[in-house]
Amino acid sequence: MLVPVTYKGGIYQHDIITDLIEDLGGYIVQKHMIAQEVVLQCFVPKEDIELIRTISKPLFGEVTDSPLVGTEIAVVSMSLEIHHLPHPSCDIAEYVRRIGAKSNMVSLARGPGKRISGLNDEERDVINEHDLAVFLMGNFEKCIEYKIPKLRRGIYVPIVLCGGPDKEVLQRITDPPFEGYVGNVGRFMRRTKEAEELGKLDEIIAEIIRVLEKKREEIAKDPLSVSPARLMGLIREQVPAILEVTSPTPLTVQMAGLRVKLPYDTFAAEIRKIEIEDGITLGDVSEVLPSRMRDYILVKILPFSETNTVV
Amino acid sequence: MLAVEYFEVECPDAQGAEYYRQITNDVLLDHNLLRVIHKVHIYIDPSVPIFVAVGILKPITSRVRVGDFANVNPLEGRITLVLSDETYLAPMLKIFWEKYGKDHVEQPDRFTVILYDIRADIKEIEEIVVADPSESLSKDLIYAFRLIAPEGFRLRSEIFSREKFSFVASENLLAENVDELVRAKFALMGETP
Repeated sequence: MLVPVTYKGGIYQHDIITDLIEDLGGYIVQKHMIAQEVVLQCFVPKEDIELIRTISKPLFGEVTDSPLVGTEIAVVSMSLEIHHLPHPSCDIAEYVRRIGAKSNMVSLARGPGKRISGLNDEERDVINEHDLAVFLMGNFEKCIEYKIPKLRRGIYVPIVLCGGPDKEVLQRITDPPFEGYVGNVGRFMRRTKEAEELGKLDEIIAEIIRVLEKKREEIAKDPLSVSPARLMGLIREQVPAILEVTSPTPLTVQMAGLRVKLPYDTFAAEIRKIEIEDGITLGDVSEVLPSRMRDYILVKILPFSETNTVV
Repeated sequence: MLAVEYFEVECPDAQGAEYYRQITNDVLLDHNLLRVIHKVHIYIDPSVPIFVAVGILKPITSRVRVGDFANVNPLEGRITLVLSDETYLAPMLKIFWEKYGKDHVEQPDRFTVILYDIRADIKEIEEIVVADPSESLSKDLIYAFRLIAPEGFRLRSEIFSREKFSFVASENLLAENVDELVRAKFALMGETP
């Protein structure tokens, strides 16, 4: 079984580790080189973690669990105004990123207010392309109660709702219930740096992990035809154009899919034709769709029940 | 909020009131406005919805003069100004250029200005008024209260003078009795609008 971990170590001889992970059958999802340090976010076989630890010891490498590697999370803030940015939206997006998730901020065009607040189709579709959405609401119970039915309409990915009122209040005013709740995190205008505030961020992370674990269990009941991390490796090998993309994550791994940051019209056919194994192509086990995010490609992997193959 | 004599946030939602108290404090502190506010009362009712802020300002008389941030040293026919703070450098240079002409003003670096061949007393130069912070005060206050008020409340009515201010915002058309509401909030502080 592959588990998500983060490897942190010096740049010197780090290729030993990258080769090792690949030899063990693991996948490197993201690789960051920051000054003299390398951070690898990867999936590795559970039983081999100790081996990686032993081999990386002379290189002063560190292996830590990061349960959110391979997930893409939307942090939905009500607007791009200074009322909501950079605190708390960026604080939360950054915190989620630290434990391996790829977080995107989605700011609504008409999010703020009570009566006037709303969600348009593009925003809805972009949020639906993620594994999970964190909704950051304001401080008043009445406003949240009034606007939340409009904001959640058409969104079928799990939502973690954050707002100023207590968790119990949030649970009471939302029907049907959301997948996760974090209370006492509304709008504030200061940096989160005190222990209590950081505790709140940890609470949000714990809630996200809990909700995603549940989603993972759901997926495990009807397993995917191919692992998203494996597809990532194949695309990197067979579509060289991806190496030219300057975006920080040209291939973003999700729990049941992949975002490929190449134009759909030019590359969709090429990506569908990628051979995985024994003549089975990527197009056979997944849907290649245009993403609502720019002109990117969204690969949705089909479950075993639909394809009858697991590669 | 030590410097403010009266500071209340009134709201039917007690928890919301506490959050807005914190936001108000953070914003006013960030924008360095606590020193000019004497009393402030904020009223928010999310069910209407409406946001009202009324307050009394402290009198500010401090106009910024050259002597406040620069050392003026005459030496061999020229006057050297050594600046301790470059905030008002630009408006000061503008005044010097107008008054003495660009030929007589030189600025070798960020913290030094030299005046050549001018007939002026040191006292006279030190007394030149460079800026009046109270001019932009209303603008700063309105900006700060726009940040404090919930973002969706975009229909506003503001009255800002040198002594008092009232700021009313809502997402719906403001009702006709807003003036009464403002008067009532001023009365809570023991003042009249």
